[in-house]
Amino acid sequence: MTSSSQLTPVLSVQNLKVRYSGNLAVDVQSLEVGRGEVVGVVGANGAGKSSLVNGLLDWSRGVAQVTGNVRLDGALLDSIPTHQRIRSGLLLVPEGRLIFSQLSVHENLTTSFDQVNTDYRRIYSRDDVYDLFPRLKERRHHLGSQLSGGERQMLGIGRALMMGPKLLMLDEPSIGLAPMLVSQVLQTMKTLARAGLSILLVEQNVRAALSVVDRLVLLERGRIVMQGSAVEMENSPRIAEAYLGTH
Amino acid sequence: MSNLLQQIINGIVIGHAYALVAIGWTLLLGVARLVNFGHGQMYMLGAFVTWWAFAKAGMPYWAAVPISMGVGAIIGLIMQKVMLRATFDQNLVSIMIMTLGFGYVLHGVAALIFGSTGQVLDTPWSQIEFEYGELWLTAQDLAIILAAVIIFIGLNWLLNSTRYGRLVRMVAEDPKLAQLAGINVRRIYFGVFAFEGAAVAFAAGMVAPRTPILTSMGFDEVIMTFVVVVLGGIGSVRGSYIAGVGLGIFTSLFAALVAPAYTTAAAFLLLIAVLVIRPKGLGAKVGSGAH
Repeated sequence: MTSSSQLTPVLSVQNLKVRYSGNLAVDVQSLEVGRGEVVGVVGANGAGKSSLVNGLLDWSRGVAQVTGNVRLDGALLDSIPTHQRIRSGLLLVPEGRLIFSQLSVHENLTTSFDQVNTDYRRIYSRDDVYDLFPRLKERRHHLGSQLSGGERQMLGIGRALMMGPKLLMLDEPSIGLAPMLVSQVLQTMKTLARAGLSILLVEQNVRAALSVVDRLVLLERGRIVMQGSAVEMENSPRIAEAYLGTH
Repeated sequence: MSNLLQQIINGIVIGHAYALVAIGWTLLLGVARLVNFGHGQMYMLGAFVTWWAFAKAGMPYWAAVPISMGVGAIIGLIMQKVMLRATFDQNLVSIMIMTLGFGYVLHGVAALIFGSTGQVLDTPWSQIEFEYGELWLTAQDLAIILAAVIIFIGLNWLLNSTRYGRLVRMVAEDPKLAQLAGINVRRIYFGVFAFEGAAVAFAAGMVAPRTPILTSMGFDEVIMTFVVVVLGGIGSVRGSYIAGVGLGIFTSLFAALVAPAYTTAAAFLLLIAVLVIRPKGLGAKVGSGAH
């Protein structure tokens, strides 16, 4: 690892636009995630949070048209298909269907490709994931479809960790989870961040996001309207009023 | 009594033939959720390439079949290349029409190359007969049964116990999520289409020696394959084996005891009846594992 690579942000985005049949859903001029940094993306429903992280992978459940420059560790990803972006370490735990429900937990925790260039990334083994989430080890013979929401989230994160993330993107990991499970997922994120993992966290729950992130980005109608450190953002009247329900 | 037994034996042979012919489409439907109405003409072409390599080019039968499989695989790849966009978009109407049209193109090309007269694929195995009292069976028939059993067991093993099989099941369940697992989904689709092409050519090489072959054939094969695949439960490997053998015995007994002219109609009646009683067919789809 050279000193210059430490200075290069792990993710750098310029002029990202995501369109659905002509309608502009995301229009982000510039966004960076530093190495080891945890950045939160918050905003209301439909603000374009998911479209943003999906767009970074040129991936979508629908038919999206993505333009702009995305760099991972300085390397331009633009002309690279989704599965290659994944292999290079830009990983996403998507919202909704995030695991294979007809595969067992054990099978879900089997990588689909051999890592060639691992750089500085840590590649978790299945046992590492079981250490992180003992619950998954207990349920290793169950099918994905038999897992609870919280367990699916753990499995989704575990799967991503085994693919060797340079940047881990999580799309609403707390959605639909009971409060206790939400704090458990956030706790896991803190553990991973402390171990040096760079994380881009999409959250509708701003309070939850503020408890783990270093920096927060506020998205409205696909544009970044505000960003700052967690402390700055927490004390901003705009955030407090619109997203935290306090004055 | 021995007539009835002979009909059941015929049914078992025909049933394994149905299952063998259907296997490529079963995987295609289970993994890529695609139909291929050019399947029957691919069968026809497989039969003619085998016949050409064997009867015209003078190759041994065991070498002619793999050549036909190679041609079948290439045709499958070409088809997938043409239909890739529609595959990703799951545009089923386009795919139906394109595959139907592709079948007609294959028919035209085959008629140009091989002519419109019937041929007989007279393999060495068709000459060997086993007799027991009034019952009889050729070595070719035995080979069909054996090949079907081996291929179904092999495919089941491949899908459930190998890394490639796991990737195929992942794409079958959720191609979008498979991309996020770093899988080259396009390559899996190509693999499945090449398998479809090679498998139907193999089936043709095994099954076509039972009847004279014509470049205009293919309709019966695609219809029976359709019935087997739907009866077996869309995309279920084990289901289509059971459905194939069951349908073979049913049509053979129906032809012997009722009337041979109405067997296709009877097969469809059976299909409708099963769908009313068990809407999802006799098995589950590939993604759910053929456990």
